[in-house]
Amino acid sequence: MQIQDLPYSDPGVPDARSGPRFLWWLWRNQLDGQLKSLAWGLLHFVAVSALPFCVGLAVQAVVDRSGTRLVLTGGLLLLCGTGIAVGDTFLHRTAVTNWITAAARVQQLLARKAAQLGSALSRRVAAGEVVAVSTGDVEKIGWFVEAVSRFTAAALTVVVVCAGLAVYQPALGAIVAVGLPVVALAVLPLLPRATRRADAQREKAGRATELASDTVAGLRVLRGIGGEELFLNRYRRASQEVRHAAVRSARMWSLISAIQVLLPGLLLIAVVWHGIHLAHQGRITVGELVTVYSAVMVLNYPLRHFEEIAMAYSFCRPSAKRAARVLSLERPTATEGTREAQVPAGDLYDPGTGLLAPARRLTAVVCGDPDAAGRLAARLGGHTAEGGRSVLLGGVALDELPLDSARTAVLVQDKDPVLLSGTLRQLLDVPASGAVRAADALTAAQCDDVLDALVQGSVDTTDPMDARITERGRSLSGGQRQRLALARSLITDPEVLVLDEPTSAVDSHTEARIADGLRRLRSGRTTVVFTSSPLLLDRADLVALVHDGEVVAVGAHRELIDREPRYRTVVTRESDDEPAAADEGALVGAGQERNEIEESA
Amino acid sequence: MIGVAPPAYDPAAPTTATTLPVGAAATVRAYVTELFHRHHRAFLLLIGVNTVAVIASMVGPYLLGGLVERVSDRSRELHLGLTAGLFLLALIVQAGFVREVRLRGAMLGERMLADLREDFLVRSVGLPPGVLERAGTGDLLSRITTDIDRLANAMREAVPQLTIGAVWALLLLGGLVVTAPPLAAAVLLAVPVLLAGCRWYFKRAPAGYRSEAAGYATVAATLAETVDAGHTIEAHRLGARRVALSEQRIKEWTAWERYTLWLRSVLFPVVNAAHVIVLGSVLMVGGVFVLHGWIGVGQLTTGALLAQMLVDPVNLILRWYDEVQVAQVSLARLVGVRDIEPDAKDASLAPDGRDVHADRVHFAYREGVDVLRNVSLEVAPGTRLALVGPSGAGKSTLGRLLAGIYAPRDGRITLGGAELSLMPAERVRSHVALVNQEHHVFVGSLRDNILLARAGAADAELWAALGAVDADGWARALDDGLDTEVGSGGLALTPAQAQQIALARLVLADPHTLVLDEATSLLDPRAARHLERSLARVLDGRTVVAIAHRLHTAHDADVIAVVENGRVSELGSHDDLVVADGAYAALWRSWHG
Repeated sequence: MQIQDLPYSDPGVPDARSGPRFLWWLWRNQLDGQLKSLAWGLLHFVAVSALPFCVGLAVQAVVDRSGTRLVLTGGLLLLCGTGIAVGDTFLHRTAVTNWITAAARVQQLLARKAAQLGSALSRRVAAGEVVAVSTGDVEKIGWFVEAVSRFTAAALTVVVVCAGLAVYQPALGAIVAVGLPVVALAVLPLLPRATRRADAQREKAGRATELASDTVAGLRVLRGIGGEELFLNRYRRASQEVRHAAVRSARMWSLISAIQVLLPGLLLIAVVWHGIHLAHQGRITVGELVTVYSAVMVLNYPLRHFEEIAMAYSFCRPSAKRAARVLSLERPTATEGTREAQVPAGDLYDPGTGLLAPARRLTAVVCGDPDAAGRLAARLGGHTAEGGRSVLLGGVALDELPLDSARTAVLVQDKDPVLLSGTLRQLLDVPASGAVRAADALTAAQCDDVLDALVQGSVDTTDPMDARITERGRSLSGGQRQRLALARSLITDPEVLVLDEPTSAVDSHTEARIADGLRRLRSGRTTVVFTSSPLLLDRADLVALVHDGEVVAVGAHRELIDREPRYRTVVTRESDDEPAAADEGALVGAGQERNEIEESA
Repeated sequence: MIGVAPPAYDPAAPTTATTLPVGAAATVRAYVTELFHRHHRAFLLLIGVNTVAVIASMVGPYLLGGLVERVSDRSRELHLGLTAGLFLLALIVQAGFVREVRLRGAMLGERMLADLREDFLVRSVGLPPGVLERAGTGDLLSRITTDIDRLANAMREAVPQLTIGAVWALLLLGGLVVTAPPLAAAVLLAVPVLLAGCRWYFKRAPAGYRSEAAGYATVAATLAETVDAGHTIEAHRLGARRVALSEQRIKEWTAWERYTLWLRSVLFPVVNAAHVIVLGSVLMVGGVFVLHGWIGVGQLTTGALLAQMLVDPVNLILRWYDEVQVAQVSLARLVGVRDIEPDAKDASLAPDGRDVHADRVHFAYREGVDVLRNVSLEVAPGTRLALVGPSGAGKSTLGRLLAGIYAPRDGRITLGGAELSLMPAERVRSHVALVNQEHHVFVGSLRDNILLARAGAADAELWAALGAVDADGWARALDDGLDTEVGSGGLALTPAQAQQIALARLVLADPHTLVLDEATSLLDPRAARHLERSLARVLDGRTVVAIAHRLHTAHDADVIAVVENGRVSELGSHDDLVVADGAYAALWRSWHG
């Protein structure tokens, strides 16, 4: 697999029974790359380890006053150099390729899993886990999987060099062979503590970042009412805590660095001490002594891979476990259905509440409890997790249809529809009947000022369709977001459109116009609107009042106002004790308020 | 053709207009100089301990060279015990100082990083409210998260490591000069090769890495969005498209990975070649010199070993250099906030009375496009004014002008005779507060969340404020009372509770005039009724300007102003306007049925 061939046309079915099994599956699936990396790694490390011999040979040649051998050594050095350069470059290329292909494969698996889980994901703790795997764990998993072959090459090289030294100069070789494992393994006991401290530091840093972004997110509140110093001091404390944790972590790492200098150094001294004696007695040449000294110095390099693999594994283990857990999540209900795929038409009927939405009509539903309204709206689309008797469309149970057919037939726009980031054109490019043009939907949803705001906020375009919408439409006000979401649903033009409070954040003037537009555009189609706004209710063909999970009254808006006190209570919002006063001050609704942009148009 | 061109699509290119300035080169330079001055002692200390560590590391090769010299002479005394002792001593010094270098480097880096992030937040919270309203907090937010993150590595590692690397390389070269000057000259043969390669690489690398990082972040962001929008994606049957989009993002990201990999595929052989040239030329040139008797074999040994040691500092420099380059862009974005000039304010200005008066006010966000035209209004103390009108008519803008957040282009807005836009923000807010749908609950204790309205208020006052908005019931039921951690990660408050906290802040801050903007969206009707009672108590006795969203609010106001197309088209009480039978009357009929 080459980088330019990514993404995989099929990332495969992962073995997600456990973390180690998942790692093994990833490794097995890039065996080619791993072998390549091993081969180039061996070339590189062996060539690096051969340099000391060149140094030793050169020194000996000079001691023996042989110009010819000096030149030959130069040739050998050139050969080693080529080996090092080629090996290093290609080891790096294959290693990075292995890392990237593993990371890309995991990201693809996550994307597929997320799309498959759909609505099952958004209300679960698992949602955070999927994101955590994608942002942090993938890198660690890729790192470990990639490092396996690099480590193997380094380990083989160390063994080969030790064996070579033992043969070349048994006495010195023995010292090195005994000393090296100690040098390689000595810091391992310190690594868990060092990584724990590093984790503590990261956690504190995360907390400080959270405080900072939280302060900035609420900055308009702070500037509007005060408390800047309070929050600054709080952040300063958190920031200094990060600093202390980082220095604490650095103490451990600096100790490790010192040991990494000290132990190889002691080995060197032992080698020199013993080697000088041997050289003095004439049992080894000066060149050989220099070779051994230099070899011990150079071996530090492959030895570092022992630490790296240990660290990579300790970082990667929890990551792999979480990735395996996420990739083995399943939807609570089957998506295939028991009937053939089809898009039924006719009246929409919910046996649970007795709600009937006649075909080709605009039905409004009034429900005093917004949570119950949300649940009922979701039921109308079928395939919900709570089960119970299925909603029928033209007599066909939606739960028995394949999920895709049910969603095609009935589109439920919930209270909080999400605007996906991208250009407006991309946002409105949804699977649709094709009968409704984007321009008509935008007009019906009263989006003119939204389009102006979008053009103003973008860098280089005057066509609103090319203007970009940020994540969740955060740069737009709540009302603007609602209107765009409504336009998107209108474009889809489903057999049945269910809207849950589609205009709750829109002012009365605009809401009245939207109600007219909705009626016009959906004429001849089945539409159900959950609302308590008189402006919408007045324009519905039929209004149903749902109370305690049951339809208790059906009729026209004015009719119900006159004869149904429960209806009057919900719709006019007059309570028993006092008429509602100035509800505008009730500070509801998250999201940023950016009316100024729309108004400046 | 060999090579990989940079991909056409650049994920690091800005897609939305940058709303806050980016620091000019001079600002960034000034800031870096200031940072260096503030920490010059730590820098000098780092260089000092580093020097000792490197010199100690050169003792080994030097001693070995001496030994080799003596062994090959076969005549002199070896002094092996003394040599080994010195060797051991040098090793211990080196190990101790390497530890110090690493620690001092981290301490310096962390201190600079802490300074930087704290400086930035100090600047941010001092921004004029008008700038925040206009720019939004998105840009600021991305600076404090993404840019600080990018700088963290540069400050924490790159700056200290580069300092260490530079000192190290220079000292090794110095060691070579001391050992045998011709060998130092031989090392320099590698410099042109290294320079040419690095020049090529560093011209391309920083931009490449920036795009690569942005591309990778987009992969994760796309997935996060798919997860977040699970409901919407399933309802609109967008699953397959999201998978395709994720794969498209992976393709874009890996294209940049491939490009930077190509850059390194050029750099690595160059660096390796430089190392081999260094070692080779020292051995060959040195060898010839020894053969001619110009230098000793011990000098050659020492020189060759030192030349081998040069690999580490050179790699260190190359490893961190581009990190610093990438960080420059982030630094410019952070210090850019310093370039925002605070508005000119007159600290001596104080209102005399509570009348709010708008006199022939014009306002424009962009030159030549007035969104408010010739608006005049009078709000007497204690009255309620409702602003109604379609979206985009200018009622929110008018509200912000009345709250002193924006300054009119022409005309005056006064509070008690003093011009609002000239008063310092801190003074304005003690008189007027803007209340919008942003009811942010801060991460922290419940106490901090209310205390911000009046630092230093006693707990009894906080409870009184909570009591005034009917929130003391649930608040007293909390196990930790005012110490309960709320906000993201803490106890999740319901929207209604969050609103009560916002109201309690108002009670504590006690401004005499309130501007209420678009607040009822997504309101739970039962909670709303409860809250309305709390709010009614807060509003009692204050002057209120309500940007009316629902008509019954307008119904209860003393005066209603209908804002249409930047002008006040109708003005009067509810009954007056219904009688006048204009736009308001038509809407009211439709609403009320």
